[in-house]
Amino acid sequence: MSSLNPLKALPGTKLALMGNEAIARGAVEAGVYVVTGYPGTPSSEVIMTIQRYGGDLGIYVEWAVNERVAFEIALGAAISGARALATMKAPGLNVASDPVISAAYSGVDGGLVILVADDPGPHTTQTEQDDRWFAKLAKLPTISPSSPQEAKDYARVAFEISEELMLPVMLLTTTRVNHAVGEVILGEFKEPRRYKGFKRDPPRYVRAGMKWNLERHKWVDQQLSRVEEVTGKHGLNRVEGSGDLCIVTGGAAYNYVVEAVESLGLSGMTRILKLGLIHPLPARFILENIEGCRKILVVEELDPFIEEELAKMLYRAGLHIEILGKHAGWLPFEGELNPVIVREFIARATGVRETGGAEPVKPGVEIPERPPPLCPGCPHRFTFIALRSALLRNGFKPSDIPVFGDIGCYALSVNPPLNSIWTEHSMGASISMAMGLKIAGFEKPVVAVIGDSTFFHAGIPSLIEAVHKRVDMLVLILDNDIVAMTGHQSTPAWSRTETGRETRGISILELVKAIGVDNVAVVDPYNLKEAERIIGEYLVRKGVNVVIAKHPCALEERRTKHVEPYVVDAEKCTGCRACIASTGCPAIIMVEGKAYIIEEDCNGCGLCVRYCQYNAIVRRER
Amino acid sequence: MSNKVFNILIAGIGGQGGLTLSRILAEAAVKTGFSVKTGETLGMAQRYGSVVSFVRIGGNTYSPIFGSGEADVLLGLELTESVRNMRYLRHRGLIIVADEYRPPSMASITGRAPSRSVLLAELARYNAVVVPARKIAVEAGNPRALNMVLLGVLNAATNILPHHVVEDTIRSIIRGEAGEKSVRAYYEGHKWFKNHR
Ligand code: SF4
Ligand code: SF4
Repeated sequence: MSSLNPLKALPGTKLALMGNEAIARGAVEAGVYVVTGYPGTPSSEVIMTIQRYGGDLGIYVEWAVNERVAFEIALGAAISGARALATMKAPGLNVASDPVISAAYSGVDGGLVILVADDPGPHTTQTEQDDRWFAKLAKLPTISPSSPQEAKDYARVAFEISEELMLPVMLLTTTRVNHAVGEVILGEFKEPRRYKGFKRDPPRYVRAGMKWNLERHKWVDQQLSRVEEVTGKHGLNRVEGSGDLCIVTGGAAYNYVVEAVESLGLSGMTRILKLGLIHPLPARFILENIEGCRKILVVEELDPFIEEELAKMLYRAGLHIEILGKHAGWLPFEGELNPVIVREFIARATGVRETGGAEPVKPGVEIPERPPPLCPGCPHRFTFIALRSALLRNGFKPSDIPVFGDIGCYALSVNPPLNSIWTEHSMGASISMAMGLKIAGFEKPVVAVIGDSTFFHAGIPSLIEAVHKRVDMLVLILDNDIVAMTGHQSTPAWSRTETGRETRGISILELVKAIGVDNVAVVDPYNLKEAERIIGEYLVRKGVNVVIAKHPCALEERRTKHVEPYVVDAEKCTGCRACIASTGCPAIIMVEGKAYIIEEDCNGCGLCVRYCQYNAIVRRER
Repeated sequence: MSNKVFNILIAGIGGQGGLTLSRILAEAAVKTGFSVKTGETLGMAQRYGSVVSFVRIGGNTYSPIFGSGEADVLLGLELTESVRNMRYLRHRGLIIVADEYRPPSMASITGRAPSRSVLLAELARYNAVVVPARKIAVEAGNPRALNMVLLGVLNAATNILPHHVVEDTIRSIIRGEAGEKSVRAYYEGHKWFKNHR
């Protein structure tokens, strides 16, 4: 969204950039040549920025079908000397974990960087997973920036470190870095690093349980032991201030620490150890710089990773310095840190009184929550309404028939008034979990609901499994032709990607047929009667039956199609609220006892019209 | 503006243009020579959930977000969301809010949504500047430019950024005709404040 092209602006320019745009710039400065990943908040803007502004940079930048495939593409490029970047959110790393964990054993020739965005809070993620543990598990050098400027610089440095150590490097961020905007001074460009050469070398590249895996493991550990020394010249770790009150921190938490120390008037007596190298932790740097510390406060997001490592370090060095962090209950284990929590912690830990201002304003009105709804005109709303009527029509109560959901906008159907999905676990889990329930002995029909992109990502193996094992179920594939939730990215069904690359669109219908499902039909959910009829029929038929509910995402359709909004005739409206209560469409609100449609939000889908007994909802007169 | 940090909290609903507004503020601030930080808190969906953006201009800031009682200005794109986020306002901070009423739709079924007049009364207790932003935006030719109207009011009330920088930044972020209309909405907002205070 930045106005100057962040990928073309001259070195030395200062721009306001979002952390993810800064990472994009840093990777391009480093000469990245292959960029791929799977969309996931808060990581998506890295690829979107390179796609949007990078047009003629001559590099490959495309979404992959899932994170695992993305990482393998990047690995394949990097073992030939190209510089490659794979981006993903934390659960995406879980998807990619198989190839990621053995990647260190192969090693790379071109820099290979995995951007992983963790989400303390969590704001948009299923768990508060701390991927610093993953760094240990996968034996990957890992660095973690605190600001957009560092995000750019670290992205660049990550490629250098990766090449020097011949190991993939994880660039690990959290939401408050990915989605923070700050001023960033741009650097020089390197030429994109393409294929240099690839020689057959089985001990490096063949992992088939060979004896040489042990040798490679030793090599990996040896490389890891050099990380602190090799990264030394990049200034990833630094000491700020002096004094015997020591604070060890890194990532987004560092920002809160600096501001807290200043506002509490502790600047003169505090020593901050800011760590940019997270795995392996820079033991030498830490031990050298904690000399004379009276106590050590550890301020970090998510798990007490640094805290535990530090405790071990001190124990081994025979040092007895008190550590205050999460373990002794000084900071919460769960949730995101913020400036207030950190300031209060430091104040308590040091006995300094906070000179807080007046009490914050407390509104005298209670404000109800605003759970995110499906958008006005969303085709998923029609599908869920059709599903509900189909259940009723077959004599079931909605509470009789479990609806296994999956990851995507349609999971919002968990909220009233749709109250639809029963589960939402992980990418592709809808079909396999539904299968598990049937196998366990559940006798009524089960329904699995999965979006188009999620189906491509991880639903295909599950569907194969269900068909192959002959487990009866109804699978609804909600095909809106886009990865909607994360900001409208392309899917493998597209015949042209965001960058204009001509591709071969994959047909979900053909794919599903080829898997051998028992019945498959495509319906437009806007055609509610038809959708209801087919869903109702397939629900009770034996076999694995698939209904592809196909209609473009309402937001996307709106960009290209003329929309005729509806209005409420206030004379006729009785204020019965049936329109809102049945649809939950956020374009309808109640104002002074009457329904009111916000014209610019209404997508003209006509759904609410069906529920008004008083014919109060009409097309706007032109 | 002194060397003190100026904290703005933008509160609204996804899709109202709060993020664009915070981005324009950030870019214009950097062009003016200020240090800047912004952070955003999004709900799960792209649209129609509660969204707040933290904007911090000037001073020597590190954190992209700030805590309760620390906003110099609460800039509300919607009445309900403005009241929801009032705790961020510092003592005697300024509230600028669009007279835009969009209660959470599900709460209006159960009748739990505070009415427009209740929200306005609450805001009046803190001398909020209530802007007929939609009317001004429509007159400027773009009902969606409510965010730009508020930007005009904010700058009229605080004088933090030079007009020409704001204007250039709007044009470069919102291209084409929509950009022109946004610039117009910005100036109309500015004028409204000057005439009505
Ligand atoms: S269903 Fe019809 S009468 Fe009832 S509130 Fe909605 S518009 Fe008014
Ligand atoms: S027609 Fe009714 S349900 Fe459809 S988008 Fe408009 S207000 Fe919402």
